[in-house]
Amino acid sequence: MSNWKKALILFGQFFKFGCFTFGGGWSIIAQMQKLYVENEKTMTSEELLDITSVGRSLPGTMIGNVAMLYGYHVGGVVCGLACLIGMILPPLLILTVITYFYSLVQDNPWVMSAMVGVRAAIVPIIASAAVSLLKSAFRYPLCYALTIMAVILYLAVNMSCVTLVVIGVVCGLLISEYYERKELKKNGTA
Amino acid sequence: MVLLELIWSFTKIGFTSFGGLSMIPLITSEVLSHGWMTASEVSDIVAIAEMTPGPLGLNCATFAGIKAAGIPGAIAANLGVLMPTLTLCLVAAVFFEKFKTSRRMGQIMVGVRPICVGLIVGVMISLSMTNYVVESAVSLPAIGIALLDLFLLLRFKLSIPKVILISAVLGLVFFH
Repeated sequence: MSNWKKALILFGQFFKFGCFTFGGGWSIIAQMQKLYVENEKTMTSEELLDITSVGRSLPGTMIGNVAMLYGYHVGGVVCGLACLIGMILPPLLILTVITYFYSLVQDNPWVMSAMVGVRAAIVPIIASAAVSLLKSAFRYPLCYALTIMAVILYLAVNMSCVTLVVIGVVCGLLISEYYERKELKKNGTA
Repeated sequence: MVLLELIWSFTKIGFTSFGGLSMIPLITSEVLSHGWMTASEVSDIVAIAEMTPGPLGLNCATFAGIKAAGIPGAIAANLGVLMPTLTLCLVAAVFFEKFKTSRRMGQIMVGVRPICVGLIVGVMISLSMTNYVVESAVSLPAIGIALLDLFLLLRFKLSIPKVILISAVLGLVFFH
């Protein structure tokens, strides 16, 4: 398949994702998980978690970064831009319309009550993706401790993602070295 | 020129924020000091950003851009917010693809993956605290919708757009 054709398909897929990125955009991860990991099987849940991790640790909007990283992974810069533009167009178009008709939707009881329902859907949507991502996250037992620590630091002291990711990098190197050496020793004496 | 100012302001916002609500104080000070939006418009945009798809940063950029210079303004402000993605993230993508299979990168990801899962769990907890509270009381219908959605997603593998639409209809039924 030519790169341009690939870019066009990605553009269409991310345009569709973009229409349903409620709740700060985390649901795009859930949509990617469903399409690429579950249905097309073109990506492992580990790869998706990696892209999410990298996208989350860079400045800017996470899902913009995730779209770029995924597109680049599939077909270089052209596909990266196709994913990015596809993803941002629906919110841009929808919000442009809303900005001009804001007085109509503002405090409209129909819109407000529907939105309570949509907001209620965000956590289960993220949870459905998280279930699949969990499987590939913990290579060694100590990794569970990292997750618990990240949740606590994020919620209790509002620690920034960058600090947390730096901690993750350092701990990842230490934990891996520790277990790899242990493994070596065991094999050496066996 | 207002378009260049929009690009520059939102580039600053893009590079100094890491998504979500962390952007609000920055956006507020930038758009107020330029007179692009009033304080009450800023609180409106947070409400609008919540009910339209798209991340908060991009939605604020669109809204402020339109207020300042119409649709070209919206495009300029979006371009600004996306500047980190177009530069830093592109470079990161190149490096990540190159070193993904290296041993050191593998070791690093062993630590970064659990942190990312922790962040996802953290986001879910903090969203739960706002999304299931309606008029400052815990809403059982909202929790019911969430449980139904989870069931539909995991058991029946329903697509996410369908789940969102079903939830919107249930929201109308329960809260209207």
